[in-house]
Amino acid sequence: MRRIAFAVSALWLAVVLLAASAGNIVVSGQLLAYQDGYVFFTTGDGFHVAQDIVIRDAKTGGPTALHPAPRIWARATFDPNGRVTELDLSRAPLAPQGSFADVARFAVALSSPVPNPDLLDAATTPPPGQTTVATQHFSGRPVLVTFIVQVPPYTPFTSSIYIATDQSGWNAQAIPMDRVDALHYQITRRFASGTVFRYLYNRGSLQTQEIAQNGLARKPRELVVTDADVRVLRDTVYAWQDAAPGGLNQVQPQIMPTPYNPAPFPNLPPGLPPPQPPAGKPPR
Amino acid sequence: MPRIVCSAFATLMLVLASTAARAAEPTPAPTAAPPRTVLYLNAARLDFYYNRFLIEGDGNVRVRTSDGFTVTGDAFSMDLKLNRFMIAGHVTMHDATGTVSGAAIADFLDFRRIYFVPVTSEPDRWTFLNGDLAHPVKGREMPGDAFYFPEVNEHPSVTGTGAVIDSKTYVRFINAHTYFLNSGVPLGTYVVNFSSNQYFAQNTLSGASVDLTWTMAGSPNALTALHLRYDPTYKTYLSVEQHLVGDHEYAIFSVNPATRAEKWWNLALYEKLGSRFQIQSFTQYYTQQAWLREPQAAQQTTFINATYAFPHSYVTASSQLTNYSLLGPGSLQPHGTVAGSLDHPSQLQVTASSFQNKIGNLPLYEQIYEGYGFNHDTVGGDQYLQGFPGHGAPIPIPGLQAFGAPCPDQHGVKPPPGASAVYYCPVYTTIWNTVLGFNLFTPSIKLNQPESPYETYYFNASFNKQYQWNSLPHWISTTNENFSISRQFTRALNTYVGYQILNVGDHYIKGGYLPCEPVNTSTCPLSFTSFRGVSTQRTTSLGLNDAPNPEFNFSLLVRHHDDYPTAVPGLFGLPPNNIIGQPLYTSYLGQAPYDATGDVRFKILSHAMLDLSRTFYWYGNPYRTTFWQPTFVVQLLPI
Repeated sequence: MRRIAFAVSALWLAVVLLAASAGNIVVSGQLLAYQDGYVFFTTGDGFHVAQDIVIRDAKTGGPTALHPAPRIWARATFDPNGRVTELDLSRAPLAPQGSFADVARFAVALSSPVPNPDLLDAATTPPPGQTTVATQHFSGRPVLVTFIVQVPPYTPFTSSIYIATDQSGWNAQAIPMDRVDALHYQITRRFASGTVFRYLYNRGSLQTQEIAQNGLARKPRELVVTDADVRVLRDTVYAWQDAAPGGLNQVQPQIMPTPYNPAPFPNLPPGLPPPQPPAGKPPR
Repeated sequence: MPRIVCSAFATLMLVLASTAARAAEPTPAPTAAPPRTVLYLNAARLDFYYNRFLIEGDGNVRVRTSDGFTVTGDAFSMDLKLNRFMIAGHVTMHDATGTVSGAAIADFLDFRRIYFVPVTSEPDRWTFLNGDLAHPVKGREMPGDAFYFPEVNEHPSVTGTGAVIDSKTYVRFINAHTYFLNSGVPLGTYVVNFSSNQYFAQNTLSGASVDLTWTMAGSPNALTALHLRYDPTYKTYLSVEQHLVGDHEYAIFSVNPATRAEKWWNLALYEKLGSRFQIQSFTQYYTQQAWLREPQAAQQTTFINATYAFPHSYVTASSQLTNYSLLGPGSLQPHGTVAGSLDHPSQLQVTASSFQNKIGNLPLYEQIYEGYGFNHDTVGGDQYLQGFPGHGAPIPIPGLQAFGAPCPDQHGVKPPPGASAVYYCPVYTTIWNTVLGFNLFTPSIKLNQPESPYETYYFNASFNKQYQWNSLPHWISTTNENFSISRQFTRALNTYVGYQILNVGDHYIKGGYLPCEPVNTSTCPLSFTSFRGVSTQRTTSLGLNDAPNPEFNFSLLVRHHDDYPTAVPGLFGLPPNNIIGQPLYTSYLGQAPYDATGDVRFKILSHAMLDLSRTFYWYGNPYRTTFWQPTFVVQLLPI
């Protein structure tokens, strides 16, 4: 008889606990603020905090020295009235649990929600021709971007070609490229969609940077990485700053002393006499 | 006469091309300048993550903005590249209209939107539009990530307690520390420039093996940096560099090394005037002096380059002026003076170039250019020294080159007593030149039409011909032909086979290059005795690239040079290497007949790749000499 009574009591207790837990919702996220009787998550939503809120360590379930504050990760337990009754805190990110969509109805806000015309519908496909940042949706997915550049025909065959970008502080050798034929180099890099950066091609230094077709310094090219599996960019370099056409007579600042006589063979053996007219026949 | 006709015709064609196309010149569209905001930030601790351009702050955060409001709070987060910041926890916002408290505020500076979560009687959501802090739009939906903190797992690059942040330009940290082997290194102030203006990246310092940069002062238009550097020549030393940058101009000044007796003072200037003209210069002033005492040697060289753009062509004037001693005549004699030559050559070249133009509907492009200029030197350098080596001491001669009959003296200077050298007259102190050339190339021609793009073969070719006529009666003819066939086998793997022929002829109207002597010696091998100033370099190349993913890349280049004059080990000088071990110039007489270069790049850090390359040279029969490039070229590349 006693055994049956114990079993019935246990069953009743289990049912009560189950019923109680069924009314609670647990959500994990990062705290934005904890003040004025509210706890705010980085969604921007603020929720009422129960007066007898329990604060625990998320890992051990025991007491914690952490206080609810910005950047702290928390697992929040909501009672059926939408009050947060328990916060389990952690400095490290917590495994995702629950959904803020389930507790959105508990978020406290004085004003009624108003649509924001600035925000784009993620499902909307931008109309053809619209590629600007302000009107395009980016998912942030990794996109393989292949750069293929055609270089001037007088580019030395063993030249190394690089891409300098504002993302790397215009480091001249940030992205080295590989030669694919007599006139083309290519490289593939992975960028998150939505990445915007400016870039220029060079031959290893900013003194060997590309210039515009009209001989002037060119503005950096701008790339907006749009959502795609792969993107291929084909660019043309018309001239290099240090090696414009007709540059046989141009001198290199690294070489001192500079050979001022524009003769074509800089490393002839020392045993070779300098060019001379035939004996007895001075040039006219 | 024919060259004058050719030059005049080319000039006429360039001018006509410029005139005819003027009507088609596009009108540039105006662009709106991005809004600029300055933030004055203080916090108990600020962390800066260089690789992500993030500033994270905690404790007693206070931000004053140039937009007219002040915010205090518990935590601060800013993405400098996205140009937005957020303050969270016990936020108080104060401006001319009053004070409001709240949980968090996020300012999207580029979009002029401020998202605020105030707590009055209850929380709410307010959005301030276009800097109007008096009229919040209440209840407006906010971007989902407006109040997100970025996840950072690495150690900060720099910490501090204050910062001045100029949006999209620079941040100056106050009470800054950086970390080396987990030890804090106090920096005082430290400036990070992240402007998209590429002129900030221009520099005038020469290469170094190691460079630790302390950017100690900065503004939207200036950057001052102290460099702690190391290179094998000067060892460890300090250098200073100053940038002054505008939208269309820059001035960069440096002293390198500043703490060694041998100092290089560099100044680079650039200015773009209007939309068609730019001028730039680079001046290097070399001194040998203890600190700022009277120098024992002083040299200077200046490059000036000006370009004027026409609609379909452009004209460039390049000039170089050098003084090998600025100490003046008589300065070489005082004790302790190490100055060398009093040589002060100069050079000017004016070149007109057309754009690259497609020829009809053919897959061919052409470009023509021509130039006029002179080289001038009344003192003389060391090229083409008069007197034959082995027949007397090198004889300092005035001018650029002596070319003529034997004569007893040059400009009144007689050969040193006892020297068996021969002087020739006249001496050319100025050599004028006319350059005419053209490029012809075809970018890519498909050789077959298979279904798969990975079975397609492409053909490329380029042809360059250039003549340079000089007032010293010789002319230089250069012909460069390049062919290649390439194929992409898979997305990752591609190969090409290339063939290049480079002919250089230095033709003297009377006389010219003399045979070397004595023949069949180490300085005059039999293969070199017939050299008369004409060289032919034929290069066959096989290249292969394998890039299975963006984080790994392997490339191999194998070349065979079949050149005349024939390469003989030790006969021709090798080009000097730059600071990281690569040759300064790539085409020269006496290249080893075979070389193979391997290069591998792979990711070693989340934002860095390691690039390792090395070249092996071998001569084949009969010399069978082999050698490696002196060292591996190792470079750390930011991703």
